[in-house]
Formats: sequence, C-alpha cells, structure tokens
Amino acid sequence: MPRPRELLAIPARRSTWRRYAYHVIGAALVAPYVTLTGFVALALQGGAGVVAAWTIAIAACCLVAPIATGMLAPVRMLEIAAARLLLGVEVDDADLIRDAASWSTRWRSAAWFVAHVAVGGVIGTLTVILPPVVVSACSAPFATGDVQLGRLDATVPGGPESAWLVPLALLSPAALVYLAVGAGALLARVAPRLLGPSPAEQLGAAQRRADRLAERNRLARELHDSVGHALSIVTVQAGAAGRVLDSDLAFARQALSDIETSARNGLRDLDHVLGLLRDDSAARAPTPTLADLQRLVASTRSAGIDVTAELTGRIDEVPQAVSREAYRIVQESLTNAARHADDAPVSLTLNVGAEHLELKLTNPLDASRPRHGGGGRGLNGIQERVASLRGQVTAGPDAGEWRIAVSLPLHPTP
Amino acid sequence: MSLGVVLVDDEPLIRSGLRAIINAEPDLSVLGEADDGAGVTAMVRRLRPDVVLMDVRMPVVDGIEATRRLLANLDEPPRVLVLTTFENDDYVFDALRAGASGFLLKRARPDEVVRAIRLLAAGTHCSSQPRSANWRPAAHPPPQPPAALTAPV
Repeated sequence: MPRPRELLAIPARRSTWRRYAYHVIGAALVAPYVTLTGFVALALQGGAGVVAAWTIAIAACCLVAPIATGMLAPVRMLEIAAARLLLGVEVDDADLIRDAASWSTRWRSAAWFVAHVAVGGVIGTLTVILPPVVVSACSAPFATGDVQLGRLDATVPGGPESAWLVPLALLSPAALVYLAVGAGALLARVAPRLLGPSPAEQLGAAQRRADRLAERNRLARELHDSVGHALSIVTVQAGAAGRVLDSDLAFARQALSDIETSARNGLRDLDHVLGLLRDDSAARAPTPTLADLQRLVASTRSAGIDVTAELTGRIDEVPQAVSREAYRIVQESLTNAARHADDAPVSLTLNVGAEHLELKLTNPLDASRPRHGGGGRGLNGIQERVASLRGQVTAGPDAGEWRIAVSLPLHPTP
Repeated sequence: MSLGVVLVDDEPLIRSGLRAIINAEPDLSVLGEADDGAGVTAMVRRLRPDVVLMDVRMPVVDGIEATRRLLANLDEPPRVLVLTTFENDDYVFDALRAGASGFLLKRARPDEVVRAIRLLAAGTHCSSQPRSANWRPAAHPPPQPPAALTAPV
C-alpha cells in the first residue's frame, strides 16, 4: 500500500498526466465506433425490433470492429509506442515481431486495443460529464427548487439541505484523477503480456541475435585471418628489405614482390569482407539451408568458377541446424577454393546417408604456385562449425589435390 | 658471442622477413626455423638457442602448446617471445600463462624486434626495463596477464 504522502503526490506527478493523456487517446478512439453503432442501429431499425437492432449493432461495433482494428500490425506498433511513452511500460522490441505476426499475437493485441478503448471511453466520458455536475452540485445549496446535475437526468433538491453535496462535488475531480492513475497502472501491468512478443517470437529473435553475433564473429575472424595476416607480412618484409637493402639486393627485390602479392591478397579479402558487411539484405534474409545449395553452386559458377556438384540422398530431410551449418561450410569451402585455386575446377560431392552427412570438396593443386602458409587459414570457421555439431573434418593436400572432407552426424549422439 | 634465435611461424614470408632482420645484426643469428610447433622441442634441444620467436596460431601444434612443451621438457629452456598480429588476442595471454616471456607484435619495427630479443636474452622480464609499444615482456610469474600487460607504458 502506498503511504498517504505518496498518494497526495500523485496528482502532481508528470506520469499521472501522461496516463491521463493515454486514456484521452482511448476516448478519442471510441468516437468512430460509437458513430458506427448509431448508423448500424438506425439501418436495422426498419426490419428488426428496436431492442434487437441495438443489441446487434452494439455487439458488432463495440466488439467486432475494435477487435478487428486491434489485430492490424500498424495499430499494434502505435499501441506499443503509446504504451511506452505514456504508460511508461517496458515492452520488448516491436521489431521482434516480423512481418507476419502469429494469430495469438494478433488476439493479444486486439485484447489490448479493446481494453485501451474501453478504459479510455469510461474515463473520457467521466471527464466530459463531471465539470457541469460539479458546478450544479455546488450551486444546489443556494438554489430554490430542484437542481439538475449537469446534463444528467438526476436532480437534487435546492436549499441548505444539499450542502453535503458541495465537498463531495469538489473532491470528485480528484477521485477521477486517482481512477485514471489506477486504470493506467492496471493497463501498465498487463501491457507486457498483451503487447510483448510471444515465447516463440522471443525465441526467434534470440535466434536472429545469435545468428547476427555469429556472423559478426565470423567476419572479425576473417579480417583477422586475411587482412591482418597480409599486413603482417607486408610490415615484416618491408622492415627486412629496408635493413638489408645495401647488403642483399636480391632479398630486397624478392621482398618487394612478396609485399605486392600480400597487399593485393589482403585488399581482395578486405573487398570480400566489406561486401558481406555492406550486404544488408543478406542479414535480413532467412538463414539459407542445403535447400539453397543449387542456387549457391549456380552463383559460384556465374562468378567464373568451374564447379561440379553431385548431391545425393534425402537432402530435404537433414535437420535444420545441420542443414544451415552444412550450407555455410559449403559456402566457406567454395570461397576458400575460389580464393586459393584461381581458375582450377572445384568438385563438390554431398551425400546424406542414414546417420551422417558426408561432404567433400576437392580442387587440383597448382604445382607451379606454392601455397604460402595456407595451412589452417580460412579453415578456422569451418572447423568451428564442424566442432559445434560434433562432426569431423580433414583438410589438406592429397595426391595433387586440395581436399576438404567433412562428416556431420545427422542426429545428436547422447 | 652471438645470441641464437629459432623462428617458429607457419608463414614462410614472416620467417624470411624476420630472418633477414635478425641476421642483419652482428650479435644475432637465426639458428633454425619451423613452420609448426610440433618439432620445436627437438629443434631447440639440438640448436640450443637463447630465444624462440613463436607464432601463436599454427596448424597441428599451436604456439601455446609448443611453449608448454618447451618449458616442461627442457632443463634450461630458452626465452619464448610470442609473435602476434593483434594485441588483444586471447591466445597471446594463454601463451604467456603457458610460460612465454613476452610478446612481440608482428607490426613491430625492425629495431624493436632486435631490441626485444636482446633484452629477453639478457634475462629481462620485469616491467622496470624500457619498453616499446610493440613488444612487452611478461611479468613472471604472470599474476593476471591481461591486466599486467595492457597497463599503460
């Protein structure tokens, strides 16, 4: 229970008047439905009896129309914004609910809209009715004959015996303020349940956040591995060339050539990572799965890489989590192949067996072009994905080919 | 007498650059190189260098494990100077916990590289020695390496 001092402070609080404003908006929203009710009742009066017509009209307009309104996504957004601003409630991000909100969410927002309009209607009506009632009640002790209370049907007898009405009348506006605050508090309490995301939507949002984070980490790692690596070579080689320029011209010349190559590779990798960062649509698109593999192969081909793909087994029956990761692994493998193999043909085989998904990607090694380092770089991402699914990966040169073989269990082992 | 150095890095161009920088100094010489942490202990036992420059991230056996093996298997292990591309690399702190004496950024200037090797070979591992921004000796035993190492110089 709030202490008396706190209760007295309520009318002076800013939040009180914000809540009042929220109810006034609710009251304003009532108007179209009231008007509609009137019209419908009028139209029905000809056929059905007056009472039946009113019942139908009131039921239709007081419930069906606002429920339908409340189900609209933009209305939900507006209600969330208004509840945050005026009721001061914390509702989880509206963008958690993407394009198609579930029916349970629609029903919850409809319930909220009806509650907002109903509470607003009551408090708005009282706000309009009360002032003339107060004035007439205060004048009653001084009047002769009956006094009508504002525009209400009720009357009170004039004269001193109505003096008791005066303090009551003077206190009633304050009571209305407390009523508004109380109703606002009640609404604020149910707001998170009615306006917030459903557990499924929260889960979806958490998944998207995790995906975004994983993607960022992947990009950071890629920058680290590619651009950081290239710039390190450039720095060390340039420093060395400067040191030995007078004594070992051949080394300096070779260093310049290596610097050029490394810097070029670094720039190309930077281009790739920046492209991923810029590609905003990729972040919003649903995470691709093996079902999108043909498209990936096609786009790799259109980038000028000779890919042969052999996909066997029930790819559509691979569990989603495995399917997503497998797609990423293929994507990263193809990227690596494109980066290191230049124009060499790439062969991809993917087989979905009873227990495992087997993935193999090979490309002939260019014997004339020694692989600088290479061992491990660019593979980190693949290794992490495979490890997270308790799969196995082998990668390395094998009989004149660069080969990466991945095996992922289709079902979690206990 | 010159100080012996062993280079361990999977990138040949990093090794060749560092080798040129180190061999250009009259008092330093590169005794051997390895592209992986696996054979480092045997190589060090054979060549007896004063300092090992050790990359952190390598395939098969990484710099952390190689440092650990080095310090566990040798009676008089050399100083290990960890090579890293980035300062805020968690692996570096793991390597320091494993017993490395300091770390050297790959972007260090050549004079910083050779000074770090000399100071480390002379037994420097305390924070009273002059330090540059691109290499840091570790305080031994590393109390809380991240805090100790990222303190302003």
